[in-house]
Amino acid sequence: MYGFHGRLLHIDLTTQSYTWQDIAASRLTAVLGGVGLGAALLYDYAPARVEPLSAENPLIFTSAPLVGTGLTTTAKYAVVTKSPLTGFIADSLSSSFFALELKRVGVDALVITGAAEQPTYLQITDAGVEFRAAAHLMGLSAQDTAERVRYTVRTEEEAEVRVAAIGRAGENLVRFATLSNEGRHAGRGGVGAVFGAKKLKAVALRGQRRVAVADTEAVEKIAVTLRERSVGPHTAKYREIGTVANLAVFDRLGSLPTYNFQNVPFAQAEALSGESFITNGFSQTHGCAACTIRCERLFQSLSGEAQRLEYETLFALGPMCGIEEPDAVLQAARLCDQYGLDTISTGGTIAWAAECADKGLWPELRATGLSFGNAEAILALIADIAHRRGAGALLAEGSRQAATHLGVEAEGFAMQVKGMELPGYEPRSLKTMALGLAVSPRGACHNRSGAYEADFSGHVDRLQADAGRGALVAASEDFSAVLDSLIVCKFLRKCFDDFYAEAAQLMSAVTGWEYTAADLRQVGERINTLKKLFNLREGWQPEDDWLPPRLLEEPLSSGVVQGVSLTPDELRLMIQSYYAARGWNEQGLVGEEKKRAVGL
Amino acid sequence: MDTQASTQSPALSAVILSGGKSSRMGRPKALLPFDDKPLIAHLVERLSQRFSDIVVVAAPDQTLPSLPVTLVHDAVAHQGPVGGIYYGLRAIRGPAAFVTSCDAPFLQLPLIDYLVSQLTHNGRGYDVVVPVWQDRLQPLHAVYRRRVIPHLQEQLATQRLRPVYLYDTVPTRTVPAAEIKRFDPEGLSFLNMNTQEDYQAALAHWRTLSAPISCTVELFGVARLTAHTPRVPLTLAAEATLGDALTVLGVACPALLGSVLSADDTGYTSLRNGYACNINGKDFVRDAHTRLRAGDSLLILSSDAGG
Ligand code: SF4
Repeated sequence: MYGFHGRLLHIDLTTQSYTWQDIAASRLTAVLGGVGLGAALLYDYAPARVEPLSAENPLIFTSAPLVGTGLTTTAKYAVVTKSPLTGFIADSLSSSFFALELKRVGVDALVITGAAEQPTYLQITDAGVEFRAAAHLMGLSAQDTAERVRYTVRTEEEAEVRVAAIGRAGENLVRFATLSNEGRHAGRGGVGAVFGAKKLKAVALRGQRRVAVADTEAVEKIAVTLRERSVGPHTAKYREIGTVANLAVFDRLGSLPTYNFQNVPFAQAEALSGESFITNGFSQTHGCAACTIRCERLFQSLSGEAQRLEYETLFALGPMCGIEEPDAVLQAARLCDQYGLDTISTGGTIAWAAECADKGLWPELRATGLSFGNAEAILALIADIAHRRGAGALLAEGSRQAATHLGVEAEGFAMQVKGMELPGYEPRSLKTMALGLAVSPRGACHNRSGAYEADFSGHVDRLQADAGRGALVAASEDFSAVLDSLIVCKFLRKCFDDFYAEAAQLMSAVTGWEYTAADLRQVGERINTLKKLFNLREGWQPEDDWLPPRLLEEPLSSGVVQGVSLTPDELRLMIQSYYAARGWNEQGLVGEEKKRAVGL
Repeated sequence: MDTQASTQSPALSAVILSGGKSSRMGRPKALLPFDDKPLIAHLVERLSQRFSDIVVVAAPDQTLPSLPVTLVHDAVAHQGPVGGIYYGLRAIRGPAAFVTSCDAPFLQLPLIDYLVSQLTHNGRGYDVVVPVWQDRLQPLHAVYRRRVIPHLQEQLATQRLRPVYLYDTVPTRTVPAAEIKRFDPEGLSFLNMNTQEDYQAALAHWRTLSAPISCTVELFGVARLTAHTPRVPLTLAAEATLGDALTVLGVACPALLGSVLSADDTGYTSLRNGYACNINGKDFVRDAHTRLRAGDSLLILSSDAGG
């Protein structure tokens, strides 16, 4: 087999045993790797209606056919599980050397089930699995864990291990805890908490197996072209500033949410802009392994430390919480990384709490001084969430669950979809994105589709809803599903002239199986149908595809988008157009015929 | 673009020729009133938005109102445009000058900016930039380097009084109508007056013509870092389009050319792939023919909004 190993490693933490199992070629052709393979395995390995933080919930790592081929931006892996935050699928990506090592271990997937009795970490090589005690690692950050694991190796060979680990938040089952490796995070959906529930602190990998590609020359040719294109104008933003470049322009467009989505614009947008960070506090450029774009930026904090910062982190811990000081954002980001907290959900949950405090709905919290813009109180609350201390214990459940304890008013401004806090794209002024956020299988997500791309294209009116958006969102989700299953970084997405045709050529060259553009389009649709089927099995209801009341009741009241609103009727119209584009019925259910049509 | 636009460095000069015969008009064209002010005063006012050094070349015995200019007189009267250009260039302080006659009421600054920028084109330097409008060279709406003075002197000495002889001798960039139309679609810049009827028509047009419009370009991300400024004010011809604005922006901020903007052979400028434009923070625009209105803000941003 080319491009794939054709097998997975199933590890049972309860019995401390493992087996290798074959994966049929037909399955790999159908769903590729990454998110696609992860979704397929999740459907098989998760018992229906499994409790996310129970031993039975499988934790699935998947590699992908392009990993290890040297193609730019492909050093990635997916972690898939049932999310403790949403109760639906969690499919997160992370990248770099851990991803390359996963492929070298000689499997296309790791499926981890059961739970250990004592804190454990897994040492996995192509020869097998060791279940090692991790008591000494508890409480450490992911980065310190990785260093300690490497420090305590038993052989020289082991010194080369690559480690993905959770921090304190994962150990304490915070529902939006991350899994981290080499400063990268599988951030959304709480995979870190699933680790914690299994008493699994880390996975350390070391392998020697290589996968051959079917047509080395063809792959090399495509690799050269992609490398060249990857440094063209389409990626200039990522190469020269990083994603933090979004903040100032989103603010200008009335699309930067602030103060828990209470309004736009943000008075201190210039001070927090990526342009200012680059000019005043730039420290280092980093990139994932085998990437020619290198979008990561580290900025210097006042304490002298270099902190990685992405737009979503900047938005969530800055304007969303009313924080105006660049250094306070860097400190908050540092804490989240240290504890292993998803920055978007952390910022979203704290912003919700700050509004509760402001409105007098949570007097104890108000007594701690929590309010929008109070950096000190917010930093303290981040630590409390990670430790599940005081109010942090409730906030560790995420804004949706926490809001149920405070009543209907507080639920109305918990800015989440399916339990996942919203990213930094204001849905009222980005109508296609509004639909994308409402229907995304993993909750309010800006990664598993790029629905906002339509709003920024000039092809649609971003301020007006219409029935054309369903097809756009479905197409964007399918495109992302293929990217996330090959895997190719989404920041390379605009470097293709004809993505599906070029990806088909690439997959044929790597695997030796004949792919056409139409095949890959169908793969995208199949993967999204599979995610939907999983969610349906886990109890999805039509009301889960919806947006928080605030977005549907309160028009934007200032800035260039003053008066712009999103009504329930508009959202309903777009959702129906999405179901129609997907070939699902009006309730969003997938019929047998549709399943057959996409080969499920 | 406003007075601090980068194309005016090093400072260039302007020359207004006011010494020509006005026989058919019956009175000095420079003094024809527009809005109760002599035309030459309007010209000086407009050109001073761009040029700090303005030279007016008058006939030996001509009297003019007091103006903030360097006034010189033709030593020999009526030697045609070559004589006027010669005496004007001798008096300028900068290395080159935009030269116009005194009877052109509708000068368009964006076009003048563009002509000045064409002293270097496709990596080549030129001594003269002369537009062609309605198939005719327009020597009295052109840019000349000071170093052509000896050639003009020689022409005067040999009585070869047609400017075209100069163009055949020194490196000359002729700017075709297609390029001019980007800045001045109707060629108003080249409208001049020889008769009373011409004057009356110009007056009527003067009254109806809307003023040039001011717009602001707001730069984000890579564009801002490249241009080293978040904002570029532009003065555009009335009725200017997005394409016109980008062309003028390329002239104002040459650093953006190649990375954010790309100019074709004619100088017409568009956004490179990877960049998008939004007007006033509301509508994303793709069509270069989109009309702009006074006060519009043009946002230039990355077309990839991924984060
Ligand atoms: S573009 Fe950024 S996220 Fe994507 S592979 Fe490169 S460094 Fe990693």
